[in-house]
Amino acid sequence: MAPPPAIRFDRTGQVFSARSGRVEALRDVGFEVRQHEFLAILGPSGCGKSTLLRMIAGLLKPTSGSVEVYGKTVTGPREDIGIVFQKPTLLPWATVEENVTFPRRHKTGRVSRADRARAQELLDMVGLEGFGKRLPDELSGGMQQRVGIARALLMDPEILLMDEPFSALDALTREVMGLDLLKMFADKPKTVVFITHSVTEAALLADRVLVMTGRPGTVLTEIPVPLDRHRGPETLKEPAVNDLASHLRDLLIGKRAA
Amino acid sequence: MYERLLGACALGGLMAASSAMAADKVAYQLDWLPGGDKAPIYVCIEQGFCEAEGLEVTIVPGRGSTDAISRLAAGSSDIGMADIGALLAAKAQEGVGVTAVMSVFNTGPHAFYTLAGSGFDSVAGARGRTIATSPFTSSNVYLPLVLEEVGIAEDDITLIKADPGALGPMLMTGRADGIIAWMTDLTRYGNQAAEAGKKIVALPWSEAGLELYSASLIASDGFLAERPDVAARFVRAFRASVAFCRENPEEAAASVAALVPELGAEDVTGSLKDALPLIFNEVTDANGLGTFDADRLAATWARVAQAQGLDAAAFDPETAVARSYLPES
Amino acid sequence: MTSPRICATSSSASGQPDMAQESWPAPAVTPYRDAIAAALRRAGQMPGLATLLTLAGTVAFWEISVRLFAVPSYLLPAPSAILGTFGVIGWDRWATHVIATLRVALMGFGLSILIAIPLAVLMMRVQILSRTLYPLLVVIQSTPVVAIAPIIIVVLGAGDAPRIVITTLITFFPLVVATATGLAATPPELIELSRSLRAPGFREMTQIRLPFAVPYIFSALKISITLAVIGAVVAEFCAAEAGVGYFIQVSTSLFKLPQAWGGLLVLAAMSLALFQAVILVQRLLFPWSLPKSR
Repeated sequence: MAPPPAIRFDRTGQVFSARSGRVEALRDVGFEVRQHEFLAILGPSGCGKSTLLRMIAGLLKPTSGSVEVYGKTVTGPREDIGIVFQKPTLLPWATVEENVTFPRRHKTGRVSRADRARAQELLDMVGLEGFGKRLPDELSGGMQQRVGIARALLMDPEILLMDEPFSALDALTREVMGLDLLKMFADKPKTVVFITHSVTEAALLADRVLVMTGRPGTVLTEIPVPLDRHRGPETLKEPAVNDLASHLRDLLIGKRAA
Repeated sequence: MYERLLGACALGGLMAASSAMAADKVAYQLDWLPGGDKAPIYVCIEQGFCEAEGLEVTIVPGRGSTDAISRLAAGSSDIGMADIGALLAAKAQEGVGVTAVMSVFNTGPHAFYTLAGSGFDSVAGARGRTIATSPFTSSNVYLPLVLEEVGIAEDDITLIKADPGALGPMLMTGRADGIIAWMTDLTRYGNQAAEAGKKIVALPWSEAGLELYSASLIASDGFLAERPDVAARFVRAFRASVAFCRENPEEAAASVAALVPELGAEDVTGSLKDALPLIFNEVTDANGLGTFDADRLAATWARVAQAQGLDAAAFDPETAVARSYLPES
Repeated sequence: MTSPRICATSSSASGQPDMAQESWPAPAVTPYRDAIAAALRRAGQMPGLATLLTLAGTVAFWEISVRLFAVPSYLLPAPSAILGTFGVIGWDRWATHVIATLRVALMGFGLSILIAIPLAVLMMRVQILSRTLYPLLVVIQSTPVVAIAPIIIVVLGAGDAPRIVITTLITFFPLVVATATGLAATPPELIELSRSLRAPGFREMTQIRLPFAVPYIFSALKISITLAVIGAVVAEFCAAEAGVGYFIQVSTSLFKLPQAWGGLLVLAAMSLALFQAVILVQRLLFPWSLPKSR
């Protein structure tokens, strides 16, 4: 028997009851994410992409269908999942190192020497060597987001959920950050669900791209990226990336026009 | 040598302790802020009258007669000063636990103040005038009575209310033809007028026929019941202090200024001299210092009841006073 | 011997380096204009000096006007007359008044912090409390404290207690509202992070919500500390044996207006000092919570 997929959505729907009435965010969503796969989810704004992530993390229960992680239905918040938000949302009063160790301090009330060593290791890995004692304010937006990534990796989660993590950065920083992210996963592979609205970013980073429609969000199509895992700045010049990007763009624009 | 010194110290400490033990603590409630018209209690402390009776007195400023009466009733002060009119009204309506033990101002201090040369030179001259008063003074209660006394309807005057501090300036600047104030403030208003190059005329309501008891020494019933001896000693010391004020107003004023340096001795002397005629006058000559004459007390109650719309027959003013604490004279 | 010194003086007075004048010869008027501009710029760069000059100018204008138009002291006393009253009652007596007011203001302020912050936390945690307490708080806030002050004084008796309660009543409302707003203004991502970690609820409060509310709390503390001085004065107007408010009241009751103005001046200085003290505490303890450099 094949091992269960890391994440599985089965006819999952989500309806919010707002003051103005019912809002159907997701309808009949079905897809799987394999172990150590990098899945990019692409779609127009407001198609419920963030809702998907929150359901995986167990912060939100689906109103219909189910979400499974490693073959088990998600019923509450899971600790084996790391989240990187669109904004770094660091604690402005804490140093970079304290921000990285924050999940431990927040969960258990204290931070061990091992945690601090791990934080140091993660900071080195995200390229922030020597910045541990700085305050977030002293860092650029890109560096702050690197702290956010290190924070999400502190507990060594199997699954990393990233909600448009680089959308606030300039185009160049964005590419560098994305490729650095892939380098990190080369040694220690993770299952990644990466939400973006950049077609180039999706094509450059992902193993597979899930394209969604607007509200209510449904899966339009899944497209595998015809490239191996070794990607670098030169990957951007490959015709396959450009072809895929323009194909994705057509899908999104076509969907919007329809 | 050393032991003797130690012994002396111990003895001194013992004496200090015993004298502190012996002195009875009394909290004295003023009906208003410190001032020259409140001189007797400062004289009592500063000139040793209180100490001679074995009393250790602390002074608590108040904010009007009603405030003073409620604090005495609540027992936070033992004895103090308040208008007997306010006391009678409070006792008739709510039966508060306080009793008057000595009259101090045996005539009402209420008056119109006007500017010399304005033609407003008698209480009856108030007709058609604009009069300024402060919102909370007890004088307002008696105003209709004094107007009735001189045959003026309330509609015949324009009454405006303002902060006490604004009354003087309003009179000087002509915003009011007259103001309602107490005779104890004659010197203060006189000085203020002098600064503006003007002269003040005081028209006391008592001269227009408003005869009544006013500021009186009033004690908490709890204090009287639990420490009647202390109360009697206090009244004795207070009465002696009042007499001292009459004989030595300058020294009395110096006593006030010594305890309350915010008040200049000059101002204190002025307001004490303004207050003395309210304490010593033909009523005092006839009945003696501090007494409550039954007829005058009944007349006072009749006035208060009329002014406040109370049933005069429903309350006996004699139940509000206790004459036994006054020394025999 | 003398001429170089004159040269040096004039060049430094013009505020222009010599080099600049040599390379760009300017019309004769510019050095003066530059000198004025430079002086103004320098004054602008020293906010303390600018404030001082404005203050000195105002006081001078006030003094001259009062003397010129012979304004009587009961309308507006001259600054010199006000300052003259400071010596009248002696420094120990002043200290008594200032300490009395300061004690009530600070204790009332402290008590309102002790009440307001836990109350806001409670209202954050318990939705029903928030809905039921808010209207009650608004009612308390809109009750004129002056009207109920006599009742408070009769109930609580002599001593500082009634004055502290009055001060607390005046100061605590902005604190509760600002703290509640601050607690609710935490980035939702961090709350999700906390939930996903399944951390205990009190740590969400202590490690996320309360620290994020600090800038809000300090904004309110700055308002409350000045209200605390007002509260102490209001309380002293109703019942006190000492204090700057009491001093002002005694002075006005005696028509000693310059002396009352002296008290007002002391009150203003106290408010300013306390306000600066709150800013200093924020700068020392929570430097990250200050507004970003402009």
